[in-house]
Amino acid sequence: MKLYRLHKILLTLLLAIFFSSCSSDLDFNQVNNLKIEPVVVANLSYFDLPANAFVENGIESDVAFQALDFDLFRDKYFRSYLQRADFSFEMTNTINRAFRLNIILFNQNDQPLYTIPFSVPAYAGNAVVVSKTDIFEGVKLDLLKSSKKMGFLIVMASGPVLNENSVGSLKMRSSATVYLTIE
Amino acid sequence: MRKTYLFLLLLVSISCLAQNKQVLYNFTSVPQSLLVNPGADFKYQYYFGVPMLSGVSANMGSTGFSAYDLFANNGVDFNTKLRDVVFSTTRKDHLALNEQLEIFNGGFKLGDWFENKGYISFGMYQEFDFWSYMPKDLAILALDGNKDYIGKVFNLGDLSVKSEVVSVLHVGYHKNVSEKLILGARAKIYSSAFNATSTKNSGYIYTIPGTTTAYEQLIYSRLRLNTSGIAQFTAEDYDGDIARDIRKKALFGGDLGLGFDVGFTYYPQKNMQLTASIIDVGFIKHSKNVENYTYEGFYKYEGMNPNFSTGGSVENVYDEFKNAIPLDTLYTKYTTWRPTKLNASYQYSFGTRRDEDCVCTGQDKEYKNAVGAQLFMMSTPRTPITALTAYYRRSVFNKMQMKATYTLDSYSSKNIGLGLSADLGKFNMYFMADNLLEYKDLSKANSLSFQFGFNFIFKDSNEPY
Repeated sequence: MKLYRLHKILLTLLLAIFFSSCSSDLDFNQVNNLKIEPVVVANLSYFDLPANAFVENGIESDVAFQALDFDLFRDKYFRSYLQRADFSFEMTNTINRAFRLNIILFNQNDQPLYTIPFSVPAYAGNAVVVSKTDIFEGVKLDLLKSSKKMGFLIVMASGPVLNENSVGSLKMRSSATVYLTIE
Repeated sequence: MRKTYLFLLLLVSISCLAQNKQVLYNFTSVPQSLLVNPGADFKYQYYFGVPMLSGVSANMGSTGFSAYDLFANNGVDFNTKLRDVVFSTTRKDHLALNEQLEIFNGGFKLGDWFENKGYISFGMYQEFDFWSYMPKDLAILALDGNKDYIGKVFNLGDLSVKSEVVSVLHVGYHKNVSEKLILGARAKIYSSAFNATSTKNSGYIYTIPGTTTAYEQLIYSRLRLNTSGIAQFTAEDYDGDIARDIRKKALFGGDLGLGFDVGFTYYPQKNMQLTASIIDVGFIKHSKNVENYTYEGFYKYEGMNPNFSTGGSVENVYDEFKNAIPLDTLYTKYTTWRPTKLNASYQYSFGTRRDEDCVCTGQDKEYKNAVGAQLFMMSTPRTPITALTAYYRRSVFNKMQMKATYTLDSYSSKNIGLGLSADLGKFNMYFMADNLLEYKDLSKANSLSFQFGFNFIFKDSNEPY
């Protein structure tokens, strides 16, 4: 009898704890609503061309071109997360010649898709700084996503002839701000 | 009655419940107290547990946030809650889960009833462990990117996580070496079914304004994940039942390890008791199905930079990065250490049972009440965690023991626990839970722990039957 009573007390206590407990309404399916929107800044491109780089064997060369593999968006997941990309450029010219710079995006067949043109005046005592930001969204972003190469075309305008001892340089620094949405 | 117990069992098994067993510790009417102190003052002729039901315990602890903070169905956008959790926690916050299930256990006294040759206890249990620190910097980087954090050094060492399933076969021995002192030790053989450990990570990522390039961007990475026993499940042609295979491996054919527990109980006076134990000083050597994944290297990202003077091709950035910080898969054996626990207690007893006050049985009187304090520490991948407990213990009717605890730890400053053990003849059942105040809303609890079990105990009668 005593044992039975003990049993009952114990059980009542256990059940009291359980049934007096409760829990707020939780909804674990909310995980499906996960949406994160990181914004990443990164270097895009950089060069620093001294004036004498435009002189080859004592002869001035007015045009420089190079195309690089553009594979930042090679990853298909990254491509699908990409919502917007801002390319910011800053050109600094301390050469007493004006320049035209075209940054050209090529597709896989080397067809140009999009060009970002710059016009950089000649140096005349104060460093010439040209800044530009190009925003890729919507259709323009699709062009960017299908780009496979990035070309740099520099054309020097006419002016005082450069030689191996010419001073100054043409510099470019640029960065990309990439807006992603991951759901 | 059986239905009620089954219901309780179900409740426990679905509720996901750190390793501090403050209620069980020194609760010497329950044989499982020998698992937290092999030198516990527990005397028996012999005992055995109800297979699979002798010791069920689960612990859950989270220092930074509760389930409610993340999953409350309160109309607040999940992403807002996630951000709040990430930004309100620190890299020291952690989430810990532990579950133990005794498969069998038993014990017997050595020698005859009048002899003092000590006691043997043995058994086997399965244990699941998960431990993760809040990977705060990585979470911020993932949520926000680096645009608003120019100048911040993101610490890759914030990532620290481990998980494993082990089964433990153990045998212990304790003995009254004198009237006042009981010493005990337990040897353990661990068998690890699977293990994933990524706790020794370091490195950083930062972006600061550059001098030549627009930014100076650096990644230095020493990330490593060691796994064992997992490769077979991730293989493409695997089509078995993971839960069943892990259980099978835990019993037979897991990675083996060795460890021990030691402890003592000392009575400086009859009504004063000191105890201490060190549990799970041991290691497991992981050598079967081992795969280590590493991301180790250094990369300074400068962009896609033309070099007009050479006119040659510049290495492409994607490949350059992959070569600088490659994902390598290695197959090197590794060793993990078990989380070692330290317990200590001081207890003062008072008040004898009324019916024993006037009756001289020739035996020592048992005290009815006891108050005491306990200390718990456990090793973690970083600094050890500590808990302090004050408790009151009382025997009710002769057949029932009760222990109430108040614990201060990193999870909570108002953790009240309660344990009950009742003897129904030779049948003993016990039930312990802590953080009772949180039961008013379990979803807001930062930690919960739970133990129960059923045993048959044949007391050491000190008499020849």
